[in-house]
Amino acid sequence: MFEHTLSLMIFLPIAAGLILLLTPAGKGIARVTGIAISMAALILGVDVFTKFKPVGELQFTEFIPWFPHVGINYSLGVDGISLFILLAASVLLPLVFLLFTTKEKGYYANLLIVQGAMAGAVCAADIILFYIFWEIMLLPVFFMLGLYGGEKKIAATLKITIYTIAGSLLMLAAIIYLGVAYHSQFGEWNFAISKLTQLDLNGGVATLAFIGFMIAFAIKIPLFPFHTWLPDAYTEAPTATTFVLSAIMAKIGVYAVIRMVVPVFDEDFARFALLLSLSGVFGMMYCGIAAIAQNDIKRMFAFSSASHMGIIALGVFTCNVQGLTGSVYQIIAHATSTGVLFLFAGIIEDRMQTRKIEALGGIAYHAPVFALYFAIALLASVGLPGTSGFIGEFLIILGAVKFSPFIGILAGTTLIIGVCYMLWMFQRVFFEKDNELTVTFKDLTLKEGICFLPVVLLIIVMGLYPQPFIEKIEPAAQIQLAHLADTQHVQVADSVNAQDHGHLLELNK
Amino acid sequence: MNNDFLLLMPMLLVGIGGIGLMIASTYESITHERMAISGMGLFGVAFLFQLGNTVAHPTIPYEQVFNGMLVVSDFTRASGMIILGCGLATCMSAYTYFKQNPFCTSEFYSLIAFSACGMLLLTMAQELISVFIALEIMSLAIYILVGYNRQSQTATEAVLKYLMLGAFAGAFFTMGAALIYGGAGSTKFTEISASISANGYAGNAALIGGSFLVIVAFLFKVAAFPFHAWVTDVYEGASTPITGFMATALKTAVFAVFANFLVLNNGLHEGWINGLFYISILTMFVGNLVAIGQESLKRMLAASGIVHSGYLLIALVAINTEQFTGGVIAYYLAAYSVGTLGIFAALSYLGGEDEKRMNFADFKGLAKVRPYSAAAITIFLLSMAGIPPTAGFMGKFYIITSAISAGQIALAVFGIISSILSMWYYLRLIVNMYFHDAVDTFETDTCHKMAPVCTMVLALCVFAIGLYPIII
Repeated sequence: MFEHTLSLMIFLPIAAGLILLLTPAGKGIARVTGIAISMAALILGVDVFTKFKPVGELQFTEFIPWFPHVGINYSLGVDGISLFILLAASVLLPLVFLLFTTKEKGYYANLLIVQGAMAGAVCAADIILFYIFWEIMLLPVFFMLGLYGGEKKIAATLKITIYTIAGSLLMLAAIIYLGVAYHSQFGEWNFAISKLTQLDLNGGVATLAFIGFMIAFAIKIPLFPFHTWLPDAYTEAPTATTFVLSAIMAKIGVYAVIRMVVPVFDEDFARFALLLSLSGVFGMMYCGIAAIAQNDIKRMFAFSSASHMGIIALGVFTCNVQGLTGSVYQIIAHATSTGVLFLFAGIIEDRMQTRKIEALGGIAYHAPVFALYFAIALLASVGLPGTSGFIGEFLIILGAVKFSPFIGILAGTTLIIGVCYMLWMFQRVFFEKDNELTVTFKDLTLKEGICFLPVVLLIIVMGLYPQPFIEKIEPAAQIQLAHLADTQHVQVADSVNAQDHGHLLELNK
Repeated sequence: MNNDFLLLMPMLLVGIGGIGLMIASTYESITHERMAISGMGLFGVAFLFQLGNTVAHPTIPYEQVFNGMLVVSDFTRASGMIILGCGLATCMSAYTYFKQNPFCTSEFYSLIAFSACGMLLLTMAQELISVFIALEIMSLAIYILVGYNRQSQTATEAVLKYLMLGAFAGAFFTMGAALIYGGAGSTKFTEISASISANGYAGNAALIGGSFLVIVAFLFKVAAFPFHAWVTDVYEGASTPITGFMATALKTAVFAVFANFLVLNNGLHEGWINGLFYISILTMFVGNLVAIGQESLKRMLAASGIVHSGYLLIALVAINTEQFTGGVIAYYLAAYSVGTLGIFAALSYLGGEDEKRMNFADFKGLAKVRPYSAAAITIFLLSMAGIPPTAGFMGKFYIITSAISAGQIALAVFGIISSILSMWYYLRLIVNMYFHDAVDTFETDTCHKMAPVCTMVLALCVFAIGLYPIII
């Protein structure tokens, strides 16, 4: 539309949220504002998507000097990787405003702020700017969880906040180390991510900085063994917060690994890739098994989400284009499927006042449309062919097999656990005998059905025709891995070949 | 000569103004409110003057005035601005505070002006005797201010502790100055530096002993480990606006002179760098441990002040004696001062009569009753915790950058770990304000808006300094 589209996508929601908080506006106005602003962001997002060219470089760039004497600039841009997280956020957030009609003003205002901050984090091309949005992102979550959460909200709030801030501060130290290293190697201050990739990092301190970054992102993703905040926070948080946390914020952790750690710390990343991918696979198994045992739908989804994040992270750690492309693809697939599942869990909770699996049953007889939507999202989440989940998981497993057959086989077999808990839960909640409670379950209203329809269609379209998405992701993925290729000839040499990928896609179809 | 006076004008204004206020306070017709307004006016004018000086002479480093006894650099000007700003904010919060705690007499504001005058002199002093005189001008006024509430036991205890220990610190300083004079043959910083460069530092016992005692005196004033024990009691006993003033302006002045002293010679800085390294780490961690256990807000803020002193010591360890600009220290002091003063300004009006609301538990549910005050306090706490986009974040960023640039990776890492620990007690207040139900109506004397206005202005300053770092 014009040259400041990204800034508008970032600051329009933030400004609207702050104005709502500072003025004595009512709930109704807050919700209408939320709908209007998130729709505006959606339109801007679609605009960016249609004008996006399938090349690897940053597009829609903006650059304003901010603290020039230390090389910090207000610089934005999107590439194929950030584009899809940006889009996922702008497609999914209007849903929340449309579906939840009776929340308080602070609820809607905080959602708007978090939307803007997330857009900022994925668009930032300067690492300090990224850090600023990364931290701002946490504040609305802190307040929403603490103000509108469940019974044990305060413990959960403190846990997630202190965990995340500990990670971010370690990352801050690492970021500053990068800046100082750049200053000593090139004689000027610069914090642009593209510049930092030129750094020649080796030695013990560089490895420490790498660990600082990885801990921060491992906490956000969350990667085993930093996942312990997740079940509490996801369970206690109000639906919209869980939705934002799982559908988008966790993805920004993966995005940050792809965008910052892979190209900047190429040597250390290659060295630790095996350990990290083992941690991803182990997290998948552990959280998957934990999910089987859960009796609370939301808590089960929380563990399932953690398990899926394990496989998404694994795709990044495989260090090849298939794995990385699969990860980005799976990020969108997971945002649409698990995100929507959390919203469905919220709907069940709203209508039944319980989330206990054993208290439910037979919902499908009374709410066939709801059951159908739920089933589609659920099948996408377990990776049924024909849904978006399949393409992503297939690419990741392929990448993993190339990286290390052992890990590939391990990851492939672990996917079965996902099918176990999901289908078993579906059976107990939607089939079997209905009881006094579930007899009263009202099906989705027409409005709710229309709200969810685009997302459900997206799941199927992405499962059947992935080409328009993959052609935008792939060039960016190759650029991120270019540095790695220099250090790891043997493993990556065969996968940089683009034709290789063409074959792959034909296989998929 | 004219130029010299122009540069000193803010200090002279505050000093003469202090005398004027003292005379004015003898007239019965001049009420506390009028005195408060005059105090604000005085600090406001002096602040603008200092700002004018800073803008008019932006890039003269180390300009010697008064025959090398004083120095005017960007650093001293910035510190002066912080001190005068603190004075202004203190007068504003005191105006409202004394509506609810009626033990004020009109001399209060002249004492604030006197101490600010001493602080300004301290930031500029380049000679040991001037430093001592400035230190005492500042301290004497502060002693009285700490014990201003004569009826209160805690205030009396506070002033006694502070006076006794402060006297020791003053004595240490004098002794140190005498030894340095013996070792270097002068009390002027420039000549001491010349003497060290010519004769070396390490072998000169008088110089080492003297600088040790001087540094001890400074560490006492900034409440660094192991001279931090007085802080919690004194801050708790002093009345809220004074606690805020002590925590910010006094610390600014002492850190300014501390930095000026350490950079006078590279040999001196090298000699103490290891000691300061351990002291800064211990200061941060001891401060955090003290703060985590507190129930009273004022004591928590006192302990968090210790932690911030630790961060500033990191900056002192990392300063480059060759190209010293003091920008990092001044910026951090500004960021810290705005946050701390803001909380104390808020406490001045939220505390109620006889400071009845001073514990964490008393502020439960504040956000439900007074959302704007709670939001402002949250902003200050986030700034002190170093969360972007507040001023505290940029301050921490500059400090860690300077530490890593100086090769002090370990200090940077310890600083980061310490900020993680400090999240605990900052978050605790936010959690209390927002996530609990209100137990109190938080009614205050609503017709006096001065402290609330001051709080809101400072809240805006947190972002203004964070987004446009003009000082550095």
